[in-house]
Amino acid sequence: MHIHKDLKMAEVIHMNHHLLPVLNRFNIYLGFGERTVEAVCIDHHVNVDFFLEIVNTFHDSSYFPLRHLQSFKASMLIDYLQKTHAYYLDIKIPEIGRYIRDIAQTSDFEETHRKLLKDFFEQYQHELTNHINKEEQGVYPYVLRLEKLIESADASLETLKELQQYSIMEYEEDHDDVESKLFDLKNILIKYLPPVRNNKLLNLVLHEIFELERDLNNHGHIEDLILVPIVENMEKELRLRYAKLSSNV
Amino acid sequence: MSNRLCILLIEPSFLIREGLKTLLSNQGQPYRIEEFDAPVDDLDKLINRINPDLVFVNPKLVIRLISLPRYTENNFEPYYLGLIERTTPAHIQGKFDQRIWLDAEKSDLNKVMEKVLKHLRNGQSDTESTSLSEREISILRLVALGNTNNEIADKLFISAHTVMTHRKNITRKLGIKTVSGLTVYAILNQLIKVEEIQGTD
Repeated sequence: MHIHKDLKMAEVIHMNHHLLPVLNRFNIYLGFGERTVEAVCIDHHVNVDFFLEIVNTFHDSSYFPLRHLQSFKASMLIDYLQKTHAYYLDIKIPEIGRYIRDIAQTSDFEETHRKLLKDFFEQYQHELTNHINKEEQGVYPYVLRLEKLIESADASLETLKELQQYSIMEYEEDHDDVESKLFDLKNILIKYLPPVRNNKLLNLVLHEIFELERDLNNHGHIEDLILVPIVENMEKELRLRYAKLSSNV
Repeated sequence: MSNRLCILLIEPSFLIREGLKTLLSNQGQPYRIEEFDAPVDDLDKLINRINPDLVFVNPKLVIRLISLPRYTENNFEPYYLGLIERTTPAHIQGKFDQRIWLDAEKSDLNKVMEKVLKHLRNGQSDTESTSLSEREISILRLVALGNTNNEIADKLFISAHTVMTHRKNITRKLGIKTVSGLTVYAILNQLIKVEEIQGTD
């Protein structure tokens, strides 16, 4: 069942509690009372259609957002994506890192094994951070620049010409290696680390990793299914403008 | 690899998509599915993101269908089922591992589906003999020590393509995709020593 605006927000959480951190990215927190999704969104100055597309993509990975794409501003989307990045870097990764360090400290692992686990996670953390930096410093500013140009009708011929060299498709590099590392980490924990007495910590860290993975997959999904089409539309529009302007010269 | 199939479904018609899912369920096959109902620009990228075992494609939705991506970056090899109409050109039909005629009878459809799933299961059970062969262990050692496919091919006097095939099987058996993951595995299982890695760069 898809989430719609007349559903009570409380029911949404009953349906899928993994949505909680997603709601938090819209600055929406618990304590909904009987209010509907729409009412809560209005209270928090959140675009309801946008909210629905995001939570539905998260709730159902086969959901294909189409209907309202044109009405979303890229800056709205980027704000959301940046908040998910912050959630990974400020909350999720440090949390998992803490567990990994605790495991290394308290358990009866051999010294080599502790170091392996710690190093592997640190490598992952490093790669994820790099990947996020690249998006925040390269891709997102480019997209915001496009949006600004679209809104101001008076972009100069030079600016338009310069932009012809770029395309979101080039920026669009895959998340593959970062994803694969997380996948490997799961299997190392599930299958290959020798059994230890303190299992509780391993269970906890594994649970967190699954949660992070689900969130990351959704993040990639949103980029591919919502961000890229929006940017492609803007690029198309600016190419048209350029063609028009340059034929007038 | 789990026995839940990862399926990618690219087809504009809602009814056909639902019908295919019903066929799959009739076979008692657990699956996870991603569906696309709009034209796909970059099939390579999609395949690499999803790593499907099985791909249903309506060729009309694939822009510039020249060849189907075979080996993905993670060494997965998807199986392609074309959703074919009587009007689909022959050279397009020939690109798929298997064809499904959209106007076929129910019994024929069930047969095709049974055949495909059997094929996929066999492919999996081969690799599900999970212990690594001697050859795979020697390749895993070399990978963990930081050798490229070409270097390994030279050292073992085999082709780079064969190295790829072995690596694909290693990844399937262990559930580990990255070089650093394989290195961790190799150390945990005492196939290599930590000092050996530090010796290389």
